[in-house]
Amino acid sequence: MDNKKLLDVRGEICPYPMIKTNQFLDQNIENIQQVEVITDHPPALSTIPPEAIKRGFACEINETKNGEWAILLTKI
Amino acid sequence: MTMQNLTIKLKLTYRYKLLAILLFLMTIYFFAVGLKQDLAIYWLVGISTGFTLQRSRLCFASGFRDIFLMRQGHTMKGILVGLGISIIGFSVIMSTIYPVPNGISIPNDAHILPVGLATITGGLLFGIGMVLAGGCVSGSLYRMGEGYLTSWVTIVGVTIGTFLLNQTWNWWWDLSINTDPLIWLPNHFGYGTTILISLTLIFIFYLLIIKIESSTPRFNIPIIKSSDNEIQNSNFLQSLYPIYKKIFKDGWSPIIGATTLGFINILLFIKFAPLGVVGEISRWGSYAGNIIGYPIPPLKGLSDLSGCSLEEMVQGAFYAHNSFFLNTGIIIGSFSGAVIANEFKLRISRSKMRYAQSLIGGVIMGYGAGLAIGCTIGAFFSAIPSLALSGWLFAISLLIGSYIGSKIITKLM
Repeated sequence: MDNKKLLDVRGEICPYPMIKTNQFLDQNIENIQQVEVITDHPPALSTIPPEAIKRGFACEINETKNGEWAILLTKI
Repeated sequence: MTMQNLTIKLKLTYRYKLLAILLFLMTIYFFAVGLKQDLAIYWLVGISTGFTLQRSRLCFASGFRDIFLMRQGHTMKGILVGLGISIIGFSVIMSTIYPVPNGISIPNDAHILPVGLATITGGLLFGIGMVLAGGCVSGSLYRMGEGYLTSWVTIVGVTIGTFLLNQTWNWWWDLSINTDPLIWLPNHFGYGTTILISLTLIFIFYLLIIKIESSTPRFNIPIIKSSDNEIQNSNFLQSLYPIYKKIFKDGWSPIIGATTLGFINILLFIKFAPLGVVGEISRWGSYAGNIIGYPIPPLKGLSDLSGCSLEEMVQGAFYAHNSFFLNTGIIIGSFSGAVIANEFKLRISRSKMRYAQSLIGGVIMGYGAGLAIGCTIGAFFSAIPSLALSGWLFAISLLIGSYIGSKIITKLM
């Protein structure tokens, strides 16, 4: 199943990148396999992963450009 | 681009960036030395503080908030370790000033603040405000340097908040602060018992957080993949790269961040007084008030208070002021850290709600900080190590305020 969704939380202030990701995962947990979260908020790199792991996703972080990261969440 | 070229290009950009930033910082340092020696010291302290906060992303707001929001105390555990170290360092300094507490006097520059209604109200307001704005005062200062537009708005809010507080200070003074005692714990229990009680409380809080966290699964933060990881260690300079990367590129853990901040605070106290950032912002508000025709009335009781009470108006240049160099140093130190790490970016929120939150949160926070005579740094991170009862009361009020704040922000999507 190739069901990859994109979630752009750039420009959001603390702690909304994490809250919005949680909300997205909770609402779509049945029909997604993979989510790519794009963020420019460094603290989110340590808040999104544990919340995603809690919900049963594996986590990979890539620095994409200056001050921007892509967090790839894959359902286990 | 081949790996070799990429490596060379990366190394060159890092070198130029470091060199440019160092030159810039040194220029201001020598400018400060020319004005007055102390300014240069505060500049260095500001730079190190900003750099430390940026590298460790140490945010007191998230420290308090995440306990409720995520049942996670990663940041708070770091803050507690930093507090523990500062308690020991501050005690050493204070015991050289007052080897035997006489039951009456208190060490001059330590942050021993009134214990009373103003402390509680200030802490509650500050807690709500910092969660609403997404950062406390020091947190917003360092994020200004990282390029967050909303943090600039927050600090404008804090300036307005402290201005409003100063306009109403005399009312609060007559109502409560006037009779609120300055309680320095060694005067009642001696140094030994006070240090033991303080460290025990810290330890209990630490255990409590571990207990709260036990309901959530353990995790390791994944390694962040970036082009820097590809640099090879083939010669001496390149073999130093892992060390460089740990300091300048990878984020520090909250424990390292808070410990470093604790040591900066101890060093500053040895030479001058503990860290505090709100008194200066209060001065900006008064300065602006003077310009628009709303000067601050003479404030009652200020001469007896330490900590982050309104910085006195000085003759001469607006910037020739210790805490001005401290606060701007924090912004520039964080900016430098972010640029070197390739993390600087102009971060512009697309939501009007976030600007409103930042402004209103800032105003509430500024008012609370004025009332409690300090922020998470001055009235908490510097007050508990000063062995002042006010620090603990402010901390508990902050905790309750953050709880209320985290209930509010989850409704403002």
